Amino acid sequence: MEFEDIYKTYWDRIFRLCMGFVNDYDVAQDLAQETFIIVWQKLETFRNESTIGTWIFRIASNNCLRQIEKEKRFQKSDLPIHLTEEKHYSIEPQIQLLYKCIAELPETDRVIISLELEDVKQAEIAKIVGLSEANVRVKIHRIKEKLTQKFKENGLQ
Amino acid sequence: MDYNNHIDFKDLWKRQSIKEPDMKDLMSRLHTFKKAGLRNVWILNVLLVVTSVFIVCIGVYYNPQFISTKIGILLTILAMVMYLFVYNKLLRNYKNISTTQTNQEYLQELLLIKKKQQFLQTKMIGYYFVVLTIGIGLYMYEYASRMSLLGLCLTYGLTLLWIGFNWFYLRPKQIKKQENKIDTLIAKFEEVNQQLQ
Repeated sequence: MEFEDIYKTYWDRIFRLCMGFVNDYDVAQDLAQETFIIVWQKLETFRNESTIGTWIFRIASNNCLRQIEKEKRFQKSDLPIHLTEEKHYSIEPQIQLLYKCIAELPETDRVIISLELEDVKQAEIAKIVGLSEANVRVKIHRIKEKLTQKFKENGLQ
Repeated sequence: MDYNNHIDFKDLWKRQSIKEPDMKDLMSRLHTFKKAGLRNVWILNVLLVVTSVFIVCIGVYYNPQFISTKIGILLTILAMVMYLFVYNKLLRNYKNISTTQTNQEYLQELLLIKKKQQFLQTKMIGYYFVVLTIGIGLYMYEYASRMSLLGLCLTYGLTLLWIGFNWFYLRPKQIKKQENKIDTLIAKFEEVNQQLQ
């Protein structure tokens, strides 16, 4: 697969993963671009041991985790549902709430739920994160419960 | 879907608006990315290598007679080489962490590197100072021994004062600053790592 095809195919998915991690449009954009810089540099070393998707998601999620070092860069903004602030990108408060709630989860949970919402198979998620499949399943279940709870609290169900 | 309680998270998730991928922007970033990473490494390396060469040149030019001078030169250079070696090795490790491994493996590696960095910034700086001080002390002895008593006291006094200032004032300050930063980071990485246990 050519780099440009990969870039176009995976851009949306990687961007959303980063957005779920930081809940900041510009930072997510930076993180996603950085991910593809790494993909571009490492593409020759990709040896089909896993699917290209798993490989790219690993790079993206590791890059997100690495951003913890620069954490001060993205202090998450407080709930912007009614204060629309600079968030004119997404119109619907529900979408904003979802991304905000996800960005407030523990770091690895953010990665897990983002991958789940991207329709990545649980077996693949296990391979990306480094947990057992059973463990991933339990975690996804708990995270979804937590999200549902938060949506209820905000009256957005 | 049952635990979704009718909220279609997947649908919401995918409705996030996204800017088009921008190949041009990516390529320009790639360029700056490569440059920035190497600059700091080069500055420190060039600085210490130039200093070492300078010391060797002075040594050769004045043709020292005392063995203490030669040992001094050797120790001074050794201190810098030692520091550079560890610093470069650490940076290489840092740059080479495989981003294609699982999150768990990646976090563990990141943690290990941060701990090594902590060592470099605290203990290693100490060793560097001790070896450097002994080296400079020995190196100066031959030239100072030809001076008057006042000159000798002044030369050693000022040098030791300068080293003392670095050791007792600048070094602890630097270590404290770095430690705060790196300890918080190590704690954070450990916490994230714990999430995957």
